[in-house]
Amino acid sequence: MTKKTRLLLRLLCPALILLLLLPAARADDTLPYDCYNYDHWNNILYTPAPYVPSGSLAGTDYTFRGEPVGAFRTPQDLCVSPDGSLYLADTGNNRVVVFSPDMKTVTNIITGFEENGVAQSFSSPSGVAVSESRRLYIADSQNHRIVILNPDGSFYRYVRDPRSEVLDENYVFTPLKVSVDYADRVYCVAQNMFQGIMVFTAEGDFTGFFGTISVKISLWEKFWRKVSTKEERSKQQLFIPTEFTGIDVDEEGFVYASNKDTDGIQAVRRLNPRGEDVIRRGARENLGGDLVFGSLGNYSGPSQIVDVVYRDHGIYSLLDARRGRVFTYDHEGSLLYIFGGLGTQSGTFRTPAAIEHVGSLLLVLDSQQACVNLFSETEYGSLINRAVALRFSGDEAQAVDLWQQVLRLDENNELANAGIGKAYLSAGDNERALTYLRRGMNRAYYSVAFKRWRNEILRDNIGWVLTAAVVLAALLAVFLRVVRPKLREKKKAKGGTPA
Amino acid sequence: MKELLSKEKWGWLFHTVNHPSDGFYWIRHQEKGSVAIAVLLVILYAAAFSMNRIGAAFIVNDIEPRSVNSVAELFGVLVLFLVICTGNWSVTCLMEGEGRFRDIVTAVGYSLVPMIACTALATVVSQFLAENEEAFYTILMGIGIAWTLLLMLTGIMQVHNYTLGKTLVTLFLTVIAVLIIVFLALLVINFITQVWSFLRSIYTELVFRF
Repeated sequence: MTKKTRLLLRLLCPALILLLLLPAARADDTLPYDCYNYDHWNNILYTPAPYVPSGSLAGTDYTFRGEPVGAFRTPQDLCVSPDGSLYLADTGNNRVVVFSPDMKTVTNIITGFEENGVAQSFSSPSGVAVSESRRLYIADSQNHRIVILNPDGSFYRYVRDPRSEVLDENYVFTPLKVSVDYADRVYCVAQNMFQGIMVFTAEGDFTGFFGTISVKISLWEKFWRKVSTKEERSKQQLFIPTEFTGIDVDEEGFVYASNKDTDGIQAVRRLNPRGEDVIRRGARENLGGDLVFGSLGNYSGPSQIVDVVYRDHGIYSLLDARRGRVFTYDHEGSLLYIFGGLGTQSGTFRTPAAIEHVGSLLLVLDSQQACVNLFSETEYGSLINRAVALRFSGDEAQAVDLWQQVLRLDENNELANAGIGKAYLSAGDNERALTYLRRGMNRAYYSVAFKRWRNEILRDNIGWVLTAAVVLAALLAVFLRVVRPKLREKKKAKGGTPA
Repeated sequence: MKELLSKEKWGWLFHTVNHPSDGFYWIRHQEKGSVAIAVLLVILYAAAFSMNRIGAAFIVNDIEPRSVNSVAELFGVLVLFLVICTGNWSVTCLMEGEGRFRDIVTAVGYSLVPMIACTALATVVSQFLAENEEAFYTILMGIGIAWTLLLMLTGIMQVHNYTLGKTLVTLFLTVIAVLIIVFLALLVINFITQVWSFLRSIYTELVFRF
């Protein structure tokens, strides 16, 4: 070894060691789950984390009036009241636990109520909701009733024993999930009720079904039903509409309802007051969670959406129990981000049951771990949320700055690229708009930009193009009329006689 | 190979595209055609096909560029060409077709010219199109396919000296022949893999035992 190389090595070694010691650049290594999204061709693209775990709420950590709250048992539902308090249906313990808005203390535990002087308790309360007038709605499933309590905890009304000609004579009402809109109409997902969401008036009268999902029978299945005998048909699988799993009401009174979908195409509906689905399904025509999944084993199959939460500005999130993921969509039906996973580490789920949001926090209730997992938004998540919110309220130009920042964190983000492209388009910079809209895979707007760009080029060059065309035409005319006849004559003179 | 540079042969190619009946007849009876040029045309078509998939403008093209493998597509087109020619040859041999294998190869290869030209042209034209103008692109591609099919029909008809009805029947039988060839090929490949895995398992058994 020469002196020079030795010196070089001595200088390089510390640098190399330093490089190895530096923490890995990927912050996601510390997360217990993957964060990803799908590109235009349904390839999985890993993204920075939109949300990171930030603790959990377990019953054992709290006391109420000096006594321990005790572990929750198979809790099934979560709900946030207008004043920010968090209500948790502690189903296995037959109670409802109320947390303060900062979630630091338990402010109330509701184990029962008094009806005309008679003490009443709950039996497997599996759904809670709070109305704008602060009344508490509890789906008291095994008592087959919905209990409505006044803000002070006193009894207000029951919703039970619905009677109607569309219902079976001996129908047993077992409410599972409940929600209430601004007019105090009650929406209820009931057990074994395939006809849709049950709707009750503020007075508790059953008015009918809502958002019924029609059964789709393929031509092939129709054919087989035609050729099979009655006996065979009785043994075949029944065609039953899918069940709803969770409900939430947005500020306009539209009902977001998640449903089981074995095809993985549409697991959420947005129902208008007439019960029609008015959700926008995006360019992919898919609102079913995962687009790519395996076909063998427990971890396979389409996402099984168990709950939906409407967040602000048209954004809503779906909770998948199959792979423990949270899918977030915007009002146009584009997937914004995906995070979460099953497991036993903190921040993962075993049996996710319900999802809620408080401010910028996302709360996922895990019934098997009997705790609420909290997720706080990262810079990446917050940028997307804010940009989408601006777009929702029509300020697309203002969103550009945010989208630029998103691109710094995630170059492949198609929404960000399309957002910037649209802004360039409206600013008149067609060439830049083309680049970004292409990256954002937004054909409609790309085409608009392209037309404008093409016209621009035509307009700028039409002068000399036309001049050149006229000159060329003139030259051609001269050639045809004057030069060619002369050439022919020369040829004739030189060569033999023409045929 | 010398044929590739022959001015006469190339001239006849363009004559054939414009006057298919006459062109294909003399390809059979006066050796006016060239197998080398036909194969070159097939390769050119494969190239045009791949270039179209990669290079057609964003407006008309929804193919992921990363999924385009031009080498695999070249071999795919070549194999398909070979199978079609073989299928047609095996059918026409039994149905008093006058064409030799080389004539069939030449006829099929030559009739690809419009498709090559139109695919290439459409790829270029697509660069100037916006939404709602895709019709130009589709029509161009359609013209290429239609013209090629007409040429192929005339080519097979002239090379074998068939009537139109008989040509259509043989073409239908050709499709069946192609399916049979594909089926047999898959069968043979399957058998070979099984024999291979059998030999392999014997080998591993021996290796682990001794």
